[in-house]
Amino acid sequence: MEGILRFLSYSGFANVTAGHIIMILIGLGFIYLAIRYEYEPLLLVPIGFGILIGNTPFMEHAGLQLGIYEEGSVLNYLYQGVLKGIYPPLIFLGIGAMTDFSTLISNPKLILLGAAAQLGIFTTYIGALLLGFTNPESASIGIIGGADGPTAIFLASRLAPHLIGSIAVAAYSYMALVPIIQPPIMRLLTTEKERRIKMKPPRSVTKQEKVLFPIFGLLLTGFIAPGSLPLLGMLFFGNLLKESLVTKRLADTAKNALIDIVTIILGITVGASTQATTFLTQQSMLIFVLGALSFMFSTAGGVLFAKFMNIFLSGENKINPLIGAAGVSAVPDSARVAQSEGLKADPSNHLLMHAMAPNVAGVIGSAVAAGIMMSFLL
Amino acid sequence: MNLFLWIQLNPDALKADHLMLAVIGYSVVFLALLLLYVFFRQLPKLLAFNLRRKLRKEGEPEKAATAGNAVPGEVNAAIATAIFLYLNELHDHETAVLTITKAAKSYSPWNSKIYNVTHFRRF
Repeated sequence: MEGILRFLSYSGFANVTAGHIIMILIGLGFIYLAIRYEYEPLLLVPIGFGILIGNTPFMEHAGLQLGIYEEGSVLNYLYQGVLKGIYPPLIFLGIGAMTDFSTLISNPKLILLGAAAQLGIFTTYIGALLLGFTNPESASIGIIGGADGPTAIFLASRLAPHLIGSIAVAAYSYMALVPIIQPPIMRLLTTEKERRIKMKPPRSVTKQEKVLFPIFGLLLTGFIAPGSLPLLGMLFFGNLLKESLVTKRLADTAKNALIDIVTIILGITVGASTQATTFLTQQSMLIFVLGALSFMFSTAGGVLFAKFMNIFLSGENKINPLIGAAGVSAVPDSARVAQSEGLKADPSNHLLMHAMAPNVAGVIGSAVAAGIMMSFLL
Repeated sequence: MNLFLWIQLNPDALKADHLMLAVIGYSVVFLALLLLYVFFRQLPKLLAFNLRRKLRKEGEPEKAATAGNAVPGEVNAAIATAIFLYLNELHDHETAVLTITKAAKSYSPWNSKIYNVTHFRRF
């Protein structure tokens, strides 16, 4: 009898709390959004399932070595890649091998939209300070506005490891909700006439330019913000593997097997790190609120800067301000949003190619912003 | 209704250093990407200059040779689509999958052989 009681005390039924139930429901919500609406399924399915793993109740502190925060557990070993910032650069390697920077090279002025859309990072940094977060915590929360999950995890792992779970879940949630968050802001800040602006088709880009981009891209950005080297180094390296055309096998591995493996492990461990006991706190709620604001400010920054650039541009060189919203680095979702909003205004206006330029510039911009934060605060 | 009552702003926490970090940080992001912009704006000119010098050495007429280098993206897209459609039409690889799916043949007085044979017109 004693054995049975002991077994029951170890079971999930005996240890379940309201927090566990809430987190399990959140995890199920993530999985539902991913499968039913296909919102970032490659991320939300692993994270959602990770939340279920992390919040299946068991007797904590019983030395079972099951929880992600328990030293010696398998999940804890996998989580080290998050804590030590190993996974984000590997993801960036894959992203680099997948990304075609042609549209950006063909119309380089669109790079600036990728810089403008980092506005949310710095405004949220100020906002988080006002709400009582410490300096490093505020920087880690602000980076959510970059809409770049790996960058957010990378910076949080260095500056505020105790907030990684909340920051990662907020970043990935808002990335998945790009089609819901961005359009109202885009419509609010643009006129019907502006949304109908047709941009001239991008010119073709030579192989030489494509090969030179990752090399000089790394040198130019790396010299200014060396803190971003782990991310940008891998991003540009992956891109060189792709564009050189002589390392096809390496590029294929980076953009398929490697990024898939890392995404699976990253998603599961980040999800599992949201254990109710550490995740359901006032701080986490604030991080979610600040993250949403950060995302909105970034979107607004990109759109408004495109309008500002239009003051100095004429005729066919004008920029459709909708693509400014793609400056947040949620690739390629925010570019898709720009495309669909453009089509609503004018069914013959295809903005996807143009929007990809600020979109990939945003990846570089948010990594540079993370590097600067690290240089200042570490 | 009182969900966010516990949110308290603390203006004293904000120091000049923090504002400076935000302003400098945002400016440096701009600076880094501005450098990229300037470099890649000038790059085609640098590459064309190199090409022109090379052609001049070889004694080729510059304009004729460099003109073909700048094919508009739309033309490239049209060529790529045409090649894609052409290759799709070649049918050099058949699937060679045999099926035993029953093919339903719904005869009607208009296409049935038996009907035509048995109900031929009599004069």
